[in-house]
Amino acid sequence: MESVIISGLQQGLIYGFMALGVLLTFELLGFPDLSVEGTFPLGAAVTARAVVEGVDPLAAVFMGAVAGGIAGAATGIMHTKLKVNNILAGILTATAIYTVMLRTMGRPNTPLLAYDNVFGQVLGWFGQAESQASIILILAVIVMAARVLMGWFLSTDLGLAVRATGSNERMIRALGVSTDTTKMLALIISNFLVGLSGALACQAQGFADVGMGMGVLVAAIASVIIGQTLFGKSKLSIVLTGVILGSIVYRAVLATALRVGLPAEDFKMITAVLVLLALTLPNIALKGRVDSLMPGLLKGINGNNAKSGYRPESVADMGRQEVDR
Amino acid sequence: MIELQQITKLFFAGTPNEVKAIDNINFKAKRGHFVTIIGSNGAGKSTLLKAITGVVPVDSGSIKLEGTDVTNLPEHKRAREIGRIDQDPMASTAGEMTIEENLAMAYLRGQKRGLSCAVNRKRTERFAEVLKDLGLGLENRLEVPVGTLSGGQRQALALVMATIARPKLLLLDEHTAALDPKAAGLVMSITRRLVESHGLTTLMITHNMEQALKYGNRLIMMHRGKIILDISEEEKKKLSVPDLIAKFTASSGSAFNDDRVLLA
Ligand SMILES: Nc1ncnc2c1ncn2[C@@H]1O[C@H](COP(=O)(O)OP(=O)(O)OP(=O)(O)O)[C@@H](O)[C@H]1O
Ligand SMILES: [Mg+2]
Repeated sequence: MESVIISGLQQGLIYGFMALGVLLTFELLGFPDLSVEGTFPLGAAVTARAVVEGVDPLAAVFMGAVAGGIAGAATGIMHTKLKVNNILAGILTATAIYTVMLRTMGRPNTPLLAYDNVFGQVLGWFGQAESQASIILILAVIVMAARVLMGWFLSTDLGLAVRATGSNERMIRALGVSTDTTKMLALIISNFLVGLSGALACQAQGFADVGMGMGVLVAAIASVIIGQTLFGKSKLSIVLTGVILGSIVYRAVLATALRVGLPAEDFKMITAVLVLLALTLPNIALKGRVDSLMPGLLKGINGNNAKSGYRPESVADMGRQEVDR
Repeated sequence: MIELQQITKLFFAGTPNEVKAIDNINFKAKRGHFVTIIGSNGAGKSTLLKAITGVVPVDSGSIKLEGTDVTNLPEHKRAREIGRIDQDPMASTAGEMTIEENLAMAYLRGQKRGLSCAVNRKRTERFAEVLKDLGLGLENRLEVPVGTLSGGQRQALALVMATIARPKLLLLDEHTAALDPKAAGLVMSITRRLVESHGLTTLMITHNMEQALKYGNRLIMMHRGKIILDISEEEKKKLSVPDLIAKFTASSGSAFNDDRVLLA
């Protein structure tokens, strides 16, 4: 039981950064950004290489996060300037990142156990020894800081413009906002958080691996949905805190499943089914009575026309986004 | 003041489906004028407004706003001076965001947006004040998501959003068409009040002939991408709906075909 809680908290907090990032693009911006499957391990790979090169772990983690942000910008440029469909832009970035990671690390996997990690470093400042509890405390503090910063940003004039880009793109453009800029901004912030998540994950587990990104997106989406299902979505502040708690719950459930002896190879299927149920059950029960207070995830599922979110298009059409005016 | 010179817009140019949505239009409206626009389906009315806002780029001609040539400016750079509302109540407001957030966005129309708090005391006081003038009680519901408002309330809010930053031009594209008669009447009276109190140059497309005659101080009629009638305030006052239809038939050489037109 104790190990379940500890594992849930530690993993949940680390992946909580990613869940916040995914919330920003998928849910608030209505942009299903698939680059995150690449930016997560990219953050880890860049951090690992930097640590091996002798960079201070904290700086290395920051570099990992920045690498994520740069990759997000690449997706943004493909989508806004080159008019590539949003989903395809993310896939292209994630694909290209694979090469970047291999080039960065020089091989698919970098063990880091022989090096100092960021948790030991930061705890050292306070004269604390590295322990599960103290790592969780640090993570909790920085996740809450990210949560507060995000809440603050989304309530500024610029943050409102970002949210409006997801809610009603045509309107915010008519109010003089370049939605290309707001999309770029959101993609950079989101992928910065995802890169940070990957960087911290590699520090906690003691290695970086090019395959780390497998399935992290569906986990983040699950966290967003669990957060909204358990804690509601009437207010943005609740949603923001909810995704972090959702991430913790999700990881605790996985840890429990492991504990009771479910084979690890079944996890992905279980996750997929859980996400599907969480998405569809409330909608079937409420029969469309409730329109999602947010664009993005649920709209695509409901069949409501997601304004700038996922449009079911044929693969042939995916190369270019329609010039929707 | 808005001035259009020899504006032309083709869709599907050079194909068998070519449509001349705007055909060499010249038009000028002085500051403070309220022009109503009527015309049959596909006459090019919406396209004309979209050309002015920059949503649709024109093929040729020039568009001047208060003397400045805006023909080649992208939409978001013209937005400072142009408020607009469409027929769809969903289109002009962000449903997932609150009334005060929507107003805060409109408050900065066309301006740089930074990292200051969007909803502050000073602004909410101003918002409450302008909403109070609507008489809909929206000033007490500032923190409610706009998606929970009725269509009429949403269009009334859209009017406030379109005018709160004092643009030079207001463009209305059938903004009461999706509302029931009572809500439409309410939105029209708010429209008139705001246009008059701000002295806004206004272009209003309507399918309601009665509305077109009752409001504004000039009426133009479009047909196949051209302005075929331009009626002054004095003349407009003397006209009835049947007169207007007769004039249309005489000028266009065809019957007024409009599936949505309201004659009464
Ligand atoms: N985006 C577009 N692509 C292709 N053709 C268009 C487009 N927008 C308008 N058109 C065509 O241009 C012509 C003028 O359309 P417009 O929407 O301006 O008419 P309207 O006068 O507003 O009609 P209504 O009264 O039905 O709203 C129509 O023939 C229409 O089919
Ligand atoms: Mg129209």
